[in-house]
Amino acid sequence: PAQTVVKLATLAPDGSVWHRILEDQAVDWRRVSSGRVELRLYPGGVAGDDPDMVRKMRLGQFQAAALSVEGLSDIDEAFNVFQIPLFFQSIDELFYVIEQLEPMLRARLEEKGFVLLNWGYGGWVHLYSKQPITELSDLRGQKLFMWGADDRQLRLWRAHGLQPVALAATDIMMALQTGMIEALATTPLAALSLQWYRLVPHHLDGGLAPLMGATVMTRRGFDRLPDQDREALLASATEAGERFRTEVPEAEDRALDAMRGRGLTVTSIAQSAEAEWRTNAAALASEYGEALVPTEVFAAARRALEEFRR
Amino acid sequence: MTQPDTEARPAVRRPSRAAAVLGFLHRGEDSLAGVVLVAMVALPLAEMVTRRAFGVGVPGSGPVVQHLTLWIAFLGAALAARERRLLAVATAELLPSGWRRGARIAAGACAAAVSILLGRAALDLVLIERDAGGTFALGIATWIAQAVIPVTFAAIAVRVAWRADDAWPGRAIAGLGIVFGLVLGQFPGLLETRSAWPWLVLVIAATALGMPLFAAIGGAAALLFLIDGVPLAAIPLFTLAGFLLAEGQASQRLLRVFRAFFGSLPGGTAVVVALIFAFFTVFTGGSGVTILALGALAYQALEADGYRSRFSVGLLTGSASLGLLLPPALPLILYGIVAGVSIEDLFIGGFLPGLLLIGLVAGWGMREGRRAGIPRQAFEPREAGKALWSAKWELLLPLVVLVAIFGGFATLVEASAITAGYAFLMQVFVHRDVSVRRDLPRVLTHAAVLLGGVLIILAVAMGLTSYLVDARVPTLALEWVQTRVDSKLAFLLLLNVFLLIVGCLMDIFSATVVVAPLLVPLGLAFDIHPIHLGIIFIANLELGYMTPPVGLNLFLAAYRFDRTLGEVARSVLPILLIMAIGVALITYVPAMTLGLLSLLGR
Ligand code: NA
Ligand code: NA
Repeated sequence: PAQTVVKLATLAPDGSVWHRILEDQAVDWRRVSSGRVELRLYPGGVAGDDPDMVRKMRLGQFQAAALSVEGLSDIDEAFNVFQIPLFFQSIDELFYVIEQLEPMLRARLEEKGFVLLNWGYGGWVHLYSKQPITELSDLRGQKLFMWGADDRQLRLWRAHGLQPVALAATDIMMALQTGMIEALATTPLAALSLQWYRLVPHHLDGGLAPLMGATVMTRRGFDRLPDQDREALLASATEAGERFRTEVPEAEDRALDAMRGRGLTVTSIAQSAEAEWRTNAAALASEYGEALVPTEVFAAARRALEEFRR
Repeated sequence: MTQPDTEARPAVRRPSRAAAVLGFLHRGEDSLAGVVLVAMVALPLAEMVTRRAFGVGVPGSGPVVQHLTLWIAFLGAALAARERRLLAVATAELLPSGWRRGARIAAGACAAAVSILLGRAALDLVLIERDAGGTFALGIATWIAQAVIPVTFAAIAVRVAWRADDAWPGRAIAGLGIVFGLVLGQFPGLLETRSAWPWLVLVIAATALGMPLFAAIGGAAALLFLIDGVPLAAIPLFTLAGFLLAEGQASQRLLRVFRAFFGSLPGGTAVVVALIFAFFTVFTGGSGVTILALGALAYQALEADGYRSRFSVGLLTGSASLGLLLPPALPLILYGIVAGVSIEDLFIGGFLPGLLLIGLVAGWGMREGRRAGIPRQAFEPREAGKALWSAKWELLLPLVVLVAIFGGFATLVEASAITAGYAFLMQVFVHRDVSVRRDLPRVLTHAAVLLGGVLIILAVAMGLTSYLVDARVPTLALEWVQTRVDSKLAFLLLLNVFLLIVGCLMDIFSATVVVAPLLVPLGLAFDIHPIHLGIIFIANLELGYMTPPVGLNLFLAAYRFDRTLGEVARSVLPILLIMAIGVALITYVPAMTLGLLSLLGR
C-alpha cells in the first residue's frame, strides 16, 4: 500500500478528456514514486462543485483538486483574468500569457496555502442560441445564461444592452425548455455532453473566453509527500498538463462535428456588423478586467498580450 | 460536573424572573426564525419582479436565500430541540416503564455528545472560512452566515441534555455527554486510532433508546456537511405554503370539489389524493416536499371521508414519491445530465412506468374505498359548479405554479416563493382565515420547528454521503458486483437491492450525482439499455424513500402526521409492497420503458 494518499476532487465527468488525463497522471505518480504515492480521484462532482472542493481542501478532507476558474477565483481573484470575455483570441495567445503570468499566479496561490501542479484547459467558451446570431442586436434580443456569473459581472453585460441571466446550473435545462433563457455561453464539449445544443442549436464562431483550470494541491498535503519523490511528481504533473493543449482542441473539433451532424448550425458575425461587435467587445473586456482582476495582474496580462501580438 | 443549562439554571433559584427572561429569549428566537422565513419568501419574489420590470435582479438574492436556508434549518433544529420535537425512533415505549427514564437519560447523553462534536467540527469549518476571507453576497463574510451552525449545535446539546430528564441528577448525567463530546472534540485521536465498531454500536444502541435521528446519522458519519445547493430552498417555502393553507377552510373547500367530481367512484378521494400528490411531486423534485406542503390538507380530506387513519398515512407517505418518473421531474433531468443520456428519451421512457406506479396506488385506494364502504355520492353538475367556484382560489394555485414555471417566469425556488406568497395573500386578505398579528407568528414558528427537524437530518445525511464517497463505498460495492455477478438477471436483482439501500441513505440529488456515473458502465456491461437503467434507477430510489427504517419520506410523514416512525413504517407496508411489484415490473419488463421509445423511432 502507498505511503501517502492524495485525494483529488474534480467536476470533470468520468470518461471526459480531462478525467482521462488525470487518470494517466495517477498511474504515472504511482510509477515515479515506486508506489509510495497514490493519487485517488473523485471525479464528476461527487465532492461537490468548485467552491465546495475549495472548502474541503481547506478543511483537509481533500489534498488536491482539478478546478476551473470558478473555484480558482475563490482562492484568488487573479484567476478571473481567464474569464474576461473576448480578451484572448487564440489558444497560442492564451498559453503565451499563462507562461508570462505563471510566476505571479504561483506566488499568489502559495500565499493562500496552495501549490500549483499544472494547468488545465477545458476548451473555448462559445455562444449557443435559439436564434442565429450575426450581429450584436441578435444577441441583445436573447436572454443569456452565464456560468457562475455574479452580480458585478452581470452589471457589466447589462451595460452593453445584453440580457444576462444568472441561474443555478441545475436550472439550465428547464430554463432552456421554458424560454427563461434563450442563449448560453459554454464550451462545445459541454454543449454536446450535457445536450444543451439541442435546445440552442446555433453556435457562434469565434469564442468568448477560454475555460481555464488548474490542478492545485494544499501546501499541507504537498509537504506530506515523501521528500525524495516531490520533484518527480511535479515533473509528471507538468507533463500531464501539457497534454490539454493538444488533446482538448482535438476533442473539441470532434464534438463540434458531432453536433453539426445532428443539426447544429454555425454562424459568424456579418462583415457589416463586425466593427460594432469589436468595439463593444474591447470595451467589455477592459471594463471587466478592471472590475474583477487585481490591477497588477490585469496590467501584466495586457502587456503579455501586446508582446505576443507584436 | 458540567452545567449544561445556561438557559434554565437560574430557573431553580429565582423562577419568576428567570422564567420571564427565558420567555423573552424564546420569543426572540421565534421571531428570528419567523423573519428568516418571511425573508426567504420575499427575496425571490422581489427578484422576479425587479428582473422583469428593470432587467436587474435584487443584488445577491440567490446566495442570500441559500444562506437563509441554512439559518432556518439550524434555528429550526434548535427550536425543535426546545419543543422536544427532534425526530427519533420511538422504541422506548417498548421498554418496561421502570427502564424508560434511564433510557431517556442515556439517549440524551449520547445526543448531547454528538451535538457538541458536530458543533465543534462546525466551529473548525467557520474558523477556516474566516481565515479564507470569502464573502457570499453584498460583501457579507461567509463565516458570519455559517456561525449559526456551531451556535445552534451548542444550544441543541444543552437542550437535549436538559430535556432528557425532569430532575437535576438525570440532567447532570445527560450533561456529562457534553463533557464527553468536548473531550472527544479536543482529542480526535481517541476516535481515529481505535476500531469504529464500539462507537457504531453505541450510536445504534442510543438510537434504539430514543436518541434523535440527526444525532444517529451525524454520529455514524462523524463528519461535516454543509447545506448547499439552491433547490433545497424550495423545501422551506413549499412547507410554509402548506402550513398557511392548512389554517382555515381550504381543505373543506377542496374536499367538496373532490367529492363532487370523484365521489361517484369507489375510493374517489383516495384516487384524487394520489393524483394530486404525483402531480405536485413532479414539480418539487420529490425530496418529500409534497408531504410537507399538502400532507395535512390531504389527510383531513381522507379523514373526513371516513378512511382509516393507518390507510391514509400509508397512502400519503407512498404517494409522495409518485411522479418522479413523469416529465419534467428534476431527477430525470439530473440523471440525463450526469449519465450523459438524452433527457427527452428519459421523459418518454419514464412515462408508462410513472403511470403504472400511479395506477397501482390508485387501484389500491379504490379497493380500500370499496372495502371500507366509504359512501359514494352521485355526480351533480350544479353542486360541482358551486364547489369549483368556492374553491377557485385554492384551485388556481397549481395553475399559477405551472404558468410560472412553464411560462419561463420563475425557477423552482421562485415558484415555491410564489406558492407561499400566494397562500399568504389568499389566507390573509381573501378568506381572512389567518390574522397577521394573531396567527402568523404561530404558523411561522410551527413551520420552523418542523423544517429544523427535517433539514438537520438532511444536512447530516449529506455528511454521511460525503463520508461514503470518501470511503469509496459505492465504488467498492460496484466493483464487488462486477467481479462476482455474471448474469443480467442476478445483476438486476442486486441493483434493486443496492438502489433501495441508496434511496434510504441519500437524497435523490446526491444519489444521482454519486451513484449514477458508477452504474452507467456496469449497465452497459450487462447489456441494459441506458434509458431503461435510468428509469430503474429513479423508480428504485422512489421506493427507497419509503423503505423502513430510514426512508426520508417516513421521517417527513412522521412529522407531518404526528405519528411515531414505527407507526408510519407499519402504515406504509402495504403500499410499499404494491409499489415494489411495480418497480419489479419496470425492472424486468424493459418493454414498458423502451416500447414507447421504439414506437416513436428513437
Ligand atoms: Na468563484
Ligand atoms: Na454549491
